[in-house]
Amino acid sequence: MTVDTPLDTPAAAASFETLLLPLLRQAYGTALRLTRSAADAEDLVQEASLQAFRGFGSFRPGSNFKAWFYRILTNCFISRYRMRRKEQYDVSLDDAPTVYLSARSVQDHLAVAGDDPAGALLGRVTEQQVAAALDALPEEYRAVATLYFMEDFSYQQIAEVLDVPVGTVRSRLHRGRRLLQAALWDLAREHGIALTRGED
Amino acid sequence: MDRLDRYTCEEALRRLEDFVDRELTSDEMRRVQAHLDTCAACTDQYRFEGRLLDGLREKIRRISLPADLQERITRRLDAERRASNG
Repeated sequence: MTVDTPLDTPAAAASFETLLLPLLRQAYGTALRLTRSAADAEDLVQEASLQAFRGFGSFRPGSNFKAWFYRILTNCFISRYRMRRKEQYDVSLDDAPTVYLSARSVQDHLAVAGDDPAGALLGRVTEQQVAAALDALPEEYRAVATLYFMEDFSYQQIAEVLDVPVGTVRSRLHRGRRLLQAALWDLAREHGIALTRGED
Repeated sequence: MDRLDRYTCEEALRRLEDFVDRELTSDEMRRVQAHLDTCAACTDQYRFEGRLLDGLREKIRRISLPADLQERITRRLDAERRASNG
């Protein structure tokens, strides 16, 4: 059985790789956040690259290769790793204070260098902790948040990559970011960002 | 600029996340900005959100590609191409 591929000339194949290779680092980062496993992320990127190569004839030259490739990547993830049942995540964003209010509260009570509560929070958490907090998000939030943070996709582009409505992207992204920020705020408090008066 | 051209604090803060993502209409962006131009408290919160998201993005994007992954991918693509050419 022959594989139907238009890449039967070195020039055509080089064209595909010219488009693909600059994306690999961030595609790997996205795969890593989706799968939460370095080995699975490598497999996922390889599989998506191969599928994209085979389907390159369906790509319209001049259109957005990155979004096209990421659609293939996420479809590979969904079909291979199967999004699990919706996890129970007990959170009510309507009632939860924003991290801003927490950070502001700290700053008002205690001397914090400068006037940059966001910087103070960022300075207390490592890259690994941020990645772990992202990995801990429920899958549907993690997928949207990963595409948002790793790439400069619009809501519409994320919706096309994941094949969900734009409104779903918006709500999942906003909730996912608040969950992420709340988790990092808790971490920062544990690691010494000053507590408000009256707490131990 | 009269009241109709700018939001209240509540209206502006409800649009904070879409504003930092540049997902509002141009009219909404203008009205939010008009409010921020006169409200230090909301400006503070907007600045915090934008700064935090930029910082998180920077940390999340510090990814190194595994040393030989690109080479493995190009080898597989070469093998695929040879196989399809018979």
